[in-house]
Amino acid sequence: MSTMTITRPAAVHADSLLEPTWAEIVEITPEVEGVSTFWFKFVDPDLQSSFSFRPGQFNMVYVPGVGEAAISISSDPEDKAKIGHSIRFVGNVTRAVSRLKVGDVVGLRGPFGSAWPLDDIEGKDIVLAAGGIGLPPLRPVIYRILHNREKYGKVTIVYGARTPSELMYRDEYDSWKQAGIDLQLTVDRADAEWTGRVGVVPMWFYGFRVDARRTAVLTCGPEIMIRFVIYEALARRIPPESIHVSLERNMKCGQGSCGHCQVGPYFICKDGPVFRFDALQPYFNVEEF
Amino acid sequence: MFDVHTPEIGGTVSIQKPVFNDLLARLREAGFETLGPRVKDGTLVYEAIDTLADLPRGYSAELEAGRYRLVRPGHDRYFDVISGQSSWKQFLFPPRLDLFAMQKIGRSWEVQKPEPDQHNFAFIGVRGCDLAAIQVQDKAFIREDFHDPIYLARRERVFILAVDCLRPGATCFCASMGTGPRPKGGFDLRLTELDGVFLITIGSELGRRMMAGLPYEAASAFVMSSAERGIEQAAQSMGRELDTSDLPDLILNNLDADQWDDVAKRCLSCGNCTQACPTCFCWDATDQLDLTGTKTKRVRVWDSCFNPDYSYQAGGNTRPNIRSRYRQWLSHKLGTWVQQYGTFGCVGCGRCIVWCPAGIDLTKEIPALRKETVK
Amino acid sequence: MDTVEEITAELQKIPWFQELKQEHVQKLASISKIRRVKAGEVIFREGDTHESVYIVLEGRVGLEMFVPHRGKVRFYTAEPWEVFGWSSVTPNVHLRTAGATAVLDGAVLRIDAEKLSQACDEDHTLGYLVMRRLAHVVAGRLLVTRLQLLDMFANPETKNV
Repeated sequence: MSTMTITRPAAVHADSLLEPTWAEIVEITPEVEGVSTFWFKFVDPDLQSSFSFRPGQFNMVYVPGVGEAAISISSDPEDKAKIGHSIRFVGNVTRAVSRLKVGDVVGLRGPFGSAWPLDDIEGKDIVLAAGGIGLPPLRPVIYRILHNREKYGKVTIVYGARTPSELMYRDEYDSWKQAGIDLQLTVDRADAEWTGRVGVVPMWFYGFRVDARRTAVLTCGPEIMIRFVIYEALARRIPPESIHVSLERNMKCGQGSCGHCQVGPYFICKDGPVFRFDALQPYFNVEEF
Repeated sequence: MFDVHTPEIGGTVSIQKPVFNDLLARLREAGFETLGPRVKDGTLVYEAIDTLADLPRGYSAELEAGRYRLVRPGHDRYFDVISGQSSWKQFLFPPRLDLFAMQKIGRSWEVQKPEPDQHNFAFIGVRGCDLAAIQVQDKAFIREDFHDPIYLARRERVFILAVDCLRPGATCFCASMGTGPRPKGGFDLRLTELDGVFLITIGSELGRRMMAGLPYEAASAFVMSSAERGIEQAAQSMGRELDTSDLPDLILNNLDADQWDDVAKRCLSCGNCTQACPTCFCWDATDQLDLTGTKTKRVRVWDSCFNPDYSYQAGGNTRPNIRSRYRQWLSHKLGTWVQQYGTFGCVGCGRCIVWCPAGIDLTKEIPALRKETVK
Repeated sequence: MDTVEEITAELQKIPWFQELKQEHVQKLASISKIRRVKAGEVIFREGDTHESVYIVLEGRVGLEMFVPHRGKVRFYTAEPWEVFGWSSVTPNVHLRTAGATAVLDGAVLRIDAEKLSQACDEDHTLGYLVMRRLAHVVAGRLLVTRLQLLDMFANPETKNV
């Protein structure tokens, strides 16, 4: 047959299917129980300096002999020296990562996926609603807001975790508040020493007055939490086009080829993981779809 | 008188059947691995062929839901057998492919890439449904933003000799899906088997060069109209049909229908349909670590949405039962595929019907869904 | 001591009260008191007989249960304008099922539950509005409780992938 013209994409990673590029662990920061942030630097310094990602994107992290896992990039996109992934140890690959030390080498492929629509939401009031391990994919957004605070209106972070000891990135909260971000924390349950809220993330919307016309909601966390955040946001007349969600599914290739991460017509790795809710609406509440 | 000039692209010539062996020999001389239909283990497979003698002459296939039998009804044709469980996808998208090997050196790993892929396949006897299936997979594996390098390499080099299907089977519905019985463009040569001769239609420059200088006759009006009639009759005698006029919406608007529960009672989630289907493209990548932990190999293998672990991730399984998995398969094949790639995933080959041990037939499932939901 | 006028003024800041008729607001004000609380102050204990339903005016109130071997577990905090202690308005429950402690300095409105019941019996319109409001409060609380029950932030059980 006649040859076809293919536009080969310019990519940081190798041309062969799934071949990783190597990155060294330069630092490990324990965050909360079962979660640490791993800081990577590509072995090839040119790759490291040319690597760039948009908030919301992820890498496939590869432990040779074990496999790959899709992990959101949770560091500051402007930090060119290293790349941070906050990883919860919960499956074969992530548990293998938890046994690695500074100096060990892993494979990285990426960045993949769609990004939080930071340009579209300039000038708007923003609500970041995150729960548990759903905060890391939103942290690059927080950095972007910190670096460009004047571009956004009111910014509120509603963040929930199981207990106070499981709230992540606690030593950054002051810098967020100082930048004029309203930080609302909540936990599922606490002891008498906690003077913050006990309740769930969606509940925060009850007491909040939003201007539905100029508010954008960005949410990430367990899907049931996302579902009720969306429910409350819609109840306050925030239009579906102003609600953005990051989803997670089993991913093997990260490039829209292996089929695993599909939800309806979308490949979560390629058409997502960040979606505008109106695009997801027909499929989001279908059980087990 | 035989004409030894070069036929035109789009033109049809007729050759005596033994000349076909010369064509095959030419393809091999040009470096192609000629692959075609063979009878093996009671079914039809696609394997290396050298001459017409390797083809299933005299055979036909009896097909029904959950049933495939080779029979010899008394004819002496070479290309009558409807495909078995194999399709051509196993060559462009191999069931098992070594991606690369790695050796641990200190704390790092050294990659040993495989040899560049050298396969030049010539597919001999591609039916309309299967040619359409290759074109459907092209859209999945070769995109602007990503391409599968092995698929692309093999696809760019493959030679396709398509074949008209004049005797469709009881489970065939290519006519409903617009993919047959005559293969539409995208072939290098197309063959129609008549009683005394093969008609060869030239589809590309490469096909033209392969035919150049072989002894052929211009196809007479009589044989051409004979072929046309054969195709028309074949289109009228499909064993199954599928009304696609209200797809994909019929499925996508009725994801909660009772029909999904009904089929879930019958489906075994065995995945035969996805293996036999010429368009299914899901795959998995596994690591094979040796006992010392210092050498590993990354391997790509076929996967299936019926695999219970397919949708597993930390926190649970988003498709934990057969109902959700069957629905995923069908709502993708005849539903969301359209939004993803602009065509249906189904080409009407009927393999999923034949090779389902429970005899589940999507040409019956869709009308059942329609009956339940359309008032 | 706060006068009925002062209490009425406080009540009128609360969104739900703005939907009531003036006479209803005054009636409720007449059976209410404002109590200032300091952080750590106990408002009522688990097991107390209950006589009042409360609304948070300022600060934050934590609701807790004592669990043997775990101590006091705080499972909810009520923010300004949220109702707590509502079980005293339902006829069958007699003892507090949870304790309430001020988490921050603030103030709460205490409404006499028996007098509230009487007022609702005498004026069915007021009664209907109060019960409807309570149904709304309980429904919201139930949803929150269910989400907490699902323990959705727990590190899930794993199996070999």
